[in-house]
Amino acid sequence: MIDPAQLVIDQDKDFRVHTSAYLDPDIFDLEMDRIYGQTWVYVGNESELPEPGSFRTSAIGTQPVLLTRGDDGTINVLFNRCRHRGSVVCREEHGHATHFQCPYHGWVYRTNGALMRIAQPDGYPDDFDKEAFGLVHVPRMATYRGLIFASLSACGESLEDRLHDVKKYVDMWADKSPVGRITLTQGMHRYSYPGNWKLQMDNGVDGYHGNYVHESFVKVTERAGEISYNEFTQLRKTGYVRGLSHGDGLIDRPYGGMAGQFDYGDPSLAAYHEQLRAAYGPERAQVLQGQQNLFVFPNLFLFESHVRVIRPVDIRETVVEMHPTMLDGVSDELNTARLRTHERFFGPAGFGAPDDVEMFVNVQSGLQARGVDWLLMSRGLHRETRSEDGEFVGASTDEAPQRSAYREWLRLMTAAVPSPPVSVG
Amino acid sequence: MTQSLTRADAEALLFREARLLDERRFDEWLAMFTDDCVYWVPTNDGDPNSEPSLIYDDRGRMEERVYRLVETRAYSQRPRSRTQHNISNVEVLDELVDGAVDVRSNLLLVELREGDPAQAGLGNQRLLAARCQYLLVNPPDWRIKRKKLNLIDADLAHHNLSFIL
Repeated sequence: MIDPAQLVIDQDKDFRVHTSAYLDPDIFDLEMDRIYGQTWVYVGNESELPEPGSFRTSAIGTQPVLLTRGDDGTINVLFNRCRHRGSVVCREEHGHATHFQCPYHGWVYRTNGALMRIAQPDGYPDDFDKEAFGLVHVPRMATYRGLIFASLSACGESLEDRLHDVKKYVDMWADKSPVGRITLTQGMHRYSYPGNWKLQMDNGVDGYHGNYVHESFVKVTERAGEISYNEFTQLRKTGYVRGLSHGDGLIDRPYGGMAGQFDYGDPSLAAYHEQLRAAYGPERAQVLQGQQNLFVFPNLFLFESHVRVIRPVDIRETVVEMHPTMLDGVSDELNTARLRTHERFFGPAGFGAPDDVEMFVNVQSGLQARGVDWLLMSRGLHRETRSEDGEFVGASTDEAPQRSAYREWLRLMTAAVPSPPVSVG
Repeated sequence: MTQSLTRADAEALLFREARLLDERRFDEWLAMFTDDCVYWVPTNDGDPNSEPSLIYDDRGRMEERVYRLVETRAYSQRPRSRTQHNISNVEVLDELVDGAVDVRSNLLLVELREGDPAQAGLGNQRLLAARCQYLLVNPPDWRIKRKKLNLIDADLAHHNLSFIL
């Protein structure tokens, strides 16, 4: 198998990623172990578990997990696997339950995973320890601003430490609600593509492609009298990209210009601006009217209109969930307007996102040509600056976020082989 | 009050809509709709003002949709899709809805992207199935006031629905 250390070139004036990172099935398996198997991974949202008994199924990499809100209100992240002979215990995607019964031999588990009942228990000795055979909890879980993260590794930094450098941008996202709370809609947009998960990772915080890929969307807005193509291209030269620690990154447009996104600075939103001022003060209220596309490595994007989750399926198969968000505390009209704006651009029938996905399959197709080995990610290296906080800051079309992602990717893929996960039963 | 649309009339209208879409005669397709029309493809049973839809177009957004396909470089339709809209199970219901005739049908849409079939995302024939509800007004020159498609896989992952369903 290819040594992952050979797959990223990270030098002063050159940054490249090798084709094999996107095409080699062994690399995918290693990513499931070393990235999805080690780091904090987004698995779901508190608003998806509104009351005791709420559940939804999710995944960490390709491992099926079951999120529940227990009777005591705490959140559980459980492996969706019966302790008897390995069947999933929940086949629904979301819902409400008082318990989970395995369909195969009838074992019953509480919502906190505890084994409640073995069918026909005379088949086990009296001293069989039921307490040792509940649904297994993932080693660690923690939440921040309603975002539920889980880790398959029992050791490593806390979520709080992991999020230290990106926290302020997560807060900017959540504080668009004057009460600081974001609720996901029950439904979602989902799209799939026959390509690698990292093609989505590379694109969400790419500020370079909009003038080209989204030309058709800009023409639509131009026709509607909203903005001219020239104004749009000029506006898109403003703003920044930022590459953070831990593989995180963002496109930062304090004054707008993000294709297809809701304009929080629109003067007609006076009531909303007043709410922000009252909640956070005038300075912060101004900051909160900007637009950021934020990536939290390895699988989470926070966009102003939605939470986007990458679900890797295989080396060349990926599913992406887009969960539109409602800002708690604002008018229904504002949230509906945000939803209409989201639908115009995003989703498989939107006027923008399908063109991004077309680029993913274009790249997946082009990478089959092996006469070229490397993908070039050096844009902006010559003009990059470093902020006091250690962020790599670039012009909005530069590739600082992609470099941050692949530095973290490389670090994890080449880390000393971690001790085998603590396995239970 | 009974309405005067026969099943044969309803079929003729739906077959014509299908033919216009498959022949890419989008302006004539738009002309089949009223000015206050709604074209709706939900993802779930929820309220479209608080739950996402794949498509929730008023007349203006439908025109944008056509404009983008016909007049711009929309890469998700370059190369473009070939479609075949197959209509069946047409029923004209007795009850009017909002003063309009309620027509139900099934859609089996076969779609395929042209271009180099060796490349990802191209040359794959796929099926989309939907239960349809049309609200028709303005006899005898029937127009579509509402078109709602309930895709059988509405809440599942789709790759590229940028052609007209």
